[in-house]
Amino acid sequence: MIKLPQTTQALLKNPLALSGFIIVLLLFACAVFAPVLAPYDYKEVNVRAILAPPNIHHIFGTDELGRDVLSRMMYGSRISLAVGFVAVGIATLIGILLGAVSGYYGRWIDSCLMRLVDIMLCIPSFFLILAVIAFIGQSIWNIMAIIGFTSWMGVSRLVRAEFLSLKEREFVLAARASGAGDMRIIFSQILPNAMAPVFVSAILGIAAAVLIESSLSFLGLGVQPPLPSWGNILTSGKDNMETAWWLSVFPGCAILLTVLGYNLLGEGLQDVLNPRLKNK
Amino acid sequence: MKRSSSLNPEEVPIFNGMKKLFYTLLLFFAASTLHAQDNATAPSYGDRLVVGTIGEPSVLIPMLASDSASHDVSGLCYNGLVKYDTDLTVIGDLAKSWEVSPDGLTITFHLLPDVHWEDGAPFTAHDVEFGFKTITNPDTPTAYAEDFRQVVKFEIIDPLTFRVTYDKPFAPALTSWGNMTVLPSHLLAGKDITKNELTRKPLGLGPFSFKEWASGEKIVMEANKTYFEGRPYLDSYIYRFIPDAATLFLELQAGNIDLMTLTPLQYSRQTDTDYFKKNFQKFKYPLFTYVYFAFNFLHPYFQDKRVRQAIAHAIDKQEIIDGVLLGLGEPATGPYVPNTWPYNPDVKKYDFNLEKARQLLFDAGWRDTDGDGLLDRDGKPFEFSVLVGMGNSVRLNTATIIQWRLEQLGIKMNIRVLEWSTLINEFIDKRRFEAILLGWSIGLDPDQYDIWHSSKTGEKQLNFISYKNKAVDELLEKGRRVFDVQERKKIYYRMQELLAEDVPYIFLYVPYSLPIVSSRICNIKPAPIGISYNLPKWYVPKKLQKNAPVP
Repeated sequence: MIKLPQTTQALLKNPLALSGFIIVLLLFACAVFAPVLAPYDYKEVNVRAILAPPNIHHIFGTDELGRDVLSRMMYGSRISLAVGFVAVGIATLIGILLGAVSGYYGRWIDSCLMRLVDIMLCIPSFFLILAVIAFIGQSIWNIMAIIGFTSWMGVSRLVRAEFLSLKEREFVLAARASGAGDMRIIFSQILPNAMAPVFVSAILGIAAAVLIESSLSFLGLGVQPPLPSWGNILTSGKDNMETAWWLSVFPGCAILLTVLGYNLLGEGLQDVLNPRLKNK
Repeated sequence: MKRSSSLNPEEVPIFNGMKKLFYTLLLFFAASTLHAQDNATAPSYGDRLVVGTIGEPSVLIPMLASDSASHDVSGLCYNGLVKYDTDLTVIGDLAKSWEVSPDGLTITFHLLPDVHWEDGAPFTAHDVEFGFKTITNPDTPTAYAEDFRQVVKFEIIDPLTFRVTYDKPFAPALTSWGNMTVLPSHLLAGKDITKNELTRKPLGLGPFSFKEWASGEKIVMEANKTYFEGRPYLDSYIYRFIPDAATLFLELQAGNIDLMTLTPLQYSRQTDTDYFKKNFQKFKYPLFTYVYFAFNFLHPYFQDKRVRQAIAHAIDKQEIIDGVLLGLGEPATGPYVPNTWPYNPDVKKYDFNLEKARQLLFDAGWRDTDGDGLLDRDGKPFEFSVLVGMGNSVRLNTATIIQWRLEQLGIKMNIRVLEWSTLINEFIDKRRFEAILLGWSIGLDPDQYDIWHSSKTGEKQLNFISYKNKAVDELLEKGRRVFDVQERKKIYYRMQELLAEDVPYIFLYVPYSLPIVSSRICNIKPAPIGISYNLPKWYVPKKLQKNAPVP
């Protein structure tokens, strides 16, 4: 079971995890306080300052419609965070459910579900996402849902593995002996003990979801204008690569930092939460 | 007549079109060039021209195609009967001469003798007749039939002479024979034109003959050695498809492309370096195209004229021209382009004025009753979608600016970007849209019956916004039945006034064409009809010829 105070303390002692945590915290601050922090309205067109390089008025320069890149990136961080969390939330929920059922009941249920996982893993998920978007249309909600529905397999395997070993343990036997039903055993006995790896994988999953959303937006299939996203700022960067480096560099760095932040945090958490690694 | 599809700024054109107009007409022109004229080398045969574009042709029989890429390529294989001269007068192409009867109802064409198809078969009036029958056949899927349906009788007098008769005077009659009608009857007679191998391997009589089509990559054409105006200087013409503007531009810089159309940003910000001045020549001229914001009259919000006028007041055309075209365009006020004779400069204009717009919307019953920042009427918020073709960043940016301005009025406009053929087939043809951002390419004749007449609102027809105005109908009918230019001018002036009052479209801008060509290509003579009308006469001096293998 995850014990919050100890975990936080251990986390703060791990420099990599700490830096990841700080990056993530800063991003959250940017996203939450975007309306306060952003110097301009992200939609505000200014035809007198098209593709202006970074300057005092526009620290990160402007895009091809004269919109402030910094403001757009701040609002874009909301999209990235929202997509990351919602998608991973969906994926984790599905993963836990299927993994728990699979690991706990075993036998044919396990076989069926694990073959389903194998099938899903066979399909390159990015292309599956592209295909599905072509059918149901592109919107921020669809993208969150599709990323979620195509990335639960890892979680379900993790949960299943934990369940396979935990269900043989004494405390489960004790619970069963005292008359607890399956649901009770799954959700209140085994699951809390299986959460540590799930938590780590969810945090790493956020990084992956942010990347997928950026890629989709870069291809023009993600967030629709005028909503900004790091991916679609990068697209205009690509068209103006030679004359407007700031359109590529800043959102590119933002994606890099975000992914790095979540990965560091995830890895750090893994070190902290995994007792087998703790003594190394 | 067609919708301007291309991804680059609007290329396209044609209306009652002439092939030579595909690269558009020009009125002003500016070339910045350090041309190698001092080389003073005589024209010589050889070398190749590599044209880079974003779109791949769909079909190479002109009358079946509705995209600019198809017309660019097939236009090099097939000629029309007449064409526009550099000063915009009509001159013969495959027709040597013609006589128009005093009442204007019959035209007798005399064809050039000794013209042969590439396979050696002689070109005769039967080929024209075959083309005419095919284009007027209701089974032929073509958007260009209307002009030819006016013909009541087609007679062949001798193999090189034919006569066409109209039952009513038809002003665009002569120019309509400029394109689309000549097909090799000895190869196509009795066959289904849509499922013929000529759709992918054209056999024509134009300056270049088809060699190879590598799907997704390029089309290779070679000089037609037996071309009736003499073989072109260039050995080959290669048409490369690169579906990404940035990659296309990199290929140009690398010297792998000799000709492409620049985006306004590339024109004004990225091609002023010494490298470009030394190696390329840039051109700039207004296209015969206008870009517009159209309302679907079947949608309840847009049936009220005040709403359309309000939106017109909320759009700052100059802002769009400055912001999106970087000044490389002119404001449009009607369905004709400035500096042409049908263009009426004095129609009602909608200045950018959000207050007026708010007042008009208020009068129409739109107000924000629930305080959510959006106008509403009968409990429904003012929200709609505008459709934009994919890959066209100029149009998308235009839509973004309009979206921002409308939001200030309390109107939520969503932008839906759609793949081009989906946009046409699923949304425009089936009338499944609320508003749309699109361009029309127009010809020199002002007849726009197909676009505005209330009888043209059926599926696949071009009045897709379902605009109906009796007075406009009458003017359109009258305008095509009169030959006198002054008389026609009055009619079309009046029509523009009515359209300006009604605002079926908000006419946004007339963009400039911005081609760039390698400076080793000589003899490009910009004229009011564009630059490529004399493509067969372009040459590369011997010294500058490239012997590199074809990319």
